[in-house]
Amino acid sequence: MFHWLEKNPFFFAVGVFVVIAFAGLIEILPNFAEASRPVVGLKPYTVLELAGKNIYKKDHCIACHSQLIRPFKAETDRYGQYSLSGEYAYDRPFLWGSKRTGPDLHRVGNYRTTDWHENHMWDPKSVVPQSIMPAYKHQFTNIADIETAYAEAVTVKNIFGTPYGDEFQPTKEAWEAYRPTVLAEAKAIADDMKNKDVKEAVANGQIPEIVAMIAYLNRLK
Amino acid sequence: MQSNAALEYDYSVAKLFTYTTILFGFLGMLIGTLIAAQLAFPELNYLMGEYGTFSRLRPLHTNIVVYGFTVSGVFATFYYSAQRVLKVSMAESKFLMFVGKLQFVLYVILALAMVVSLLMGFSSSKEYAEMEWPLDVLTVLVWVLWGVAMFGLIGIRREKSLYISLWYFIACFLGVAMLYLFNNMEVPTYLASGGLGNIMHSVSMYAGTNDALVQWWWGHNAVAFVFTVPIIAMIYYFLPKESGQAIYSYKLSLLSFWGLMFVYLWAGSHHLLWSTVPDWMQSMGSIFSVVLILPSWGSAINMLLTMKGEWNQLTENPLIKFMVLASTFYMLSTLEGPIQAIKSVNAIAHFTDWIPGHVHDGVLGWVAFMIMASLFHMAPRMYKREIYSKKLMEAQFWLQITAVVLYFTSMWIAGITQGMMWRAVDEYGNLMYSFIDTVAVLNPYYTIRALAGVLYLTGFLMFAYNMYKTMTISRKLEVEPQFRSPMA
Amino acid sequence: MDIRELQGYASFFMTIFLVVILYSYIVYLYKSEKKGEKDYEKYGNIALDDEITSTPIEHNPKSQSEKKELNK
Repeated sequence: MFHWLEKNPFFFAVGVFVVIAFAGLIEILPNFAEASRPVVGLKPYTVLELAGKNIYKKDHCIACHSQLIRPFKAETDRYGQYSLSGEYAYDRPFLWGSKRTGPDLHRVGNYRTTDWHENHMWDPKSVVPQSIMPAYKHQFTNIADIETAYAEAVTVKNIFGTPYGDEFQPTKEAWEAYRPTVLAEAKAIADDMKNKDVKEAVANGQIPEIVAMIAYLNRLK
Repeated sequence: MQSNAALEYDYSVAKLFTYTTILFGFLGMLIGTLIAAQLAFPELNYLMGEYGTFSRLRPLHTNIVVYGFTVSGVFATFYYSAQRVLKVSMAESKFLMFVGKLQFVLYVILALAMVVSLLMGFSSSKEYAEMEWPLDVLTVLVWVLWGVAMFGLIGIRREKSLYISLWYFIACFLGVAMLYLFNNMEVPTYLASGGLGNIMHSVSMYAGTNDALVQWWWGHNAVAFVFTVPIIAMIYYFLPKESGQAIYSYKLSLLSFWGLMFVYLWAGSHHLLWSTVPDWMQSMGSIFSVVLILPSWGSAINMLLTMKGEWNQLTENPLIKFMVLASTFYMLSTLEGPIQAIKSVNAIAHFTDWIPGHVHDGVLGWVAFMIMASLFHMAPRMYKREIYSKKLMEAQFWLQITAVVLYFTSMWIAGITQGMMWRAVDEYGNLMYSFIDTVAVLNPYYTIRALAGVLYLTGFLMFAYNMYKTMTISRKLEVEPQFRSPMA
Repeated sequence: MDIRELQGYASFFMTIFLVVILYSYIVYLYKSEKKGEKDYEKYGNIALDDEITSTPIEHNPKSQSEKKELNK
């Protein structure tokens, strides 16, 4: 009756597949029937924030920082209100992380400022003397890829129905028309910064990575 | 039965993957040691500008160790042992030989593209699935080719019944294929936005909590189907063959195989305890993690009982030492994992260094030990020379054992210390420590861990040197050894 | 019946079903070996006696014909 499987590789493989796929069918797939709804008032990321999120991914901040506040008093005291599913509705991918070598960042926008981030990213030890975080000086000179962030906004709008406005269209013209909006947002942040090179770059229509990064970190609330 | 008297097993593909196993093993462990040292000595972050920071190198370390070292090792041992248990040679089919070699070429291209793109910062930021979409497409191709080679070999086999190792190789193939595809569903923004922005960039098909579920369904089962299943395949072949003892119980191996297949997939959500995924899934993950001890220990005990009455080999043959120790570490980490999956333990352990500690007693003690032992066993058969040095192998064994013990003990203490400090409150209920206090206190443990990394890496270099000498100048063998590998 | 409920039933009965199969498998394996109808432990020797010239534990009748096809 049974030993038959080991002599019939095809049916053996089918058997293995059924057994391993079962858990996924039950646990994973049905959950998509009710994809998480955004919490009330949640806005999609602006293009500049998306660009910052992409730098967060590029420099792989999740290696050391989580974005998930668990429902314990010790955590809500330290980081604020525990995280809700609906807050992540526009996070593609999710950036919860799995290790806190540094503190959680899910609500870092509530208690850190542009000024603090600027100093900290330039030299973490100048703000937190015992810090073991590396400095991210290259973010002050590398130029952020805003066009890709715009492409991402257009993609999630068209494919997943993320509520971006009508000005988001998959054409070069639409992107050129939108660029000044991003620059204005970047300028507002650069005005709060003191690094001369960054200010100059923004004035010339270039957005250094650090500006987008700070826009994203300030957004995390 | 045998028409062609000169017919021999053909190890050319197995040899190719042996070289990449050694190469990527060294590279992955080197980077691992460097980033371990960076946590103890942060100045080491500035060796290569933006490409040398901990955060940029960490995914490189994990990806090289998983997809470079381990997967190479899986392919090498597969192309070696599958021929033998099926009693059919790769040389008997030009087609399969071509598939195997093509797979190797594409694999090397993929691995190099992976190293370069991750260094450049192209990352989807989903752990152990960081590669961006063009590389994912190539990965699928490499994997399909492996499947063709696997089922092709099975198709022309002389031995009707599939040996235990092959069940696990088949499960590895199917499991990774299914999970990898689902987790890497992503939309390239360049294609979806009419050609705007960077062509490498993509967004995940899933958002937020759903993305987390799919990711850890993958993340956990990458551990299952890359770090566990194919390694069990190795030990089921190499331990009996090296010791000359048939497996203790074929029936037990059948039961633990099907048990493992069924249970493993459920446990993924234990990475998401106390998060925003539905409660019943968290509990399910927790319960099934504990149930998972049964099939895991089933295999491990089967291994240890295989040595019944032959324990003297443990003192005489360092290869047996490697393998028995590997299965012991397998038992240890499959007990430790479920403990961490208990919700109240997880509340302390999650996000701390206990988790990397757990991963590394599995990976250093079980995966890497088993892969190195398998390659040592294969070398005299593939190169027809005896193993270059038994003494060196003994020294390597003790060095690496010390390293593993230092690694996991320091990380256990570090993890629990930090977990307790995060939640410590004074008599008024206020938090006692600021976050940086909990970082500063870990420095000694990070230093010990870095030292452990250096020791393990040194051991791996001894392995690589021993293998190199075995391939080139060691004494030639007239006949293929049947069981115990000859060594000088 | 909504999807959650369906999921619950599917999970419950599938698990019961698989457990029953697995346990009858165990019983069958041990019984048939005790009665002397089958010998499973001989398959363990596949790993030990694995020269290309050695006799397979069970010969695969399809091997010759399929081999020829692949070699074309």
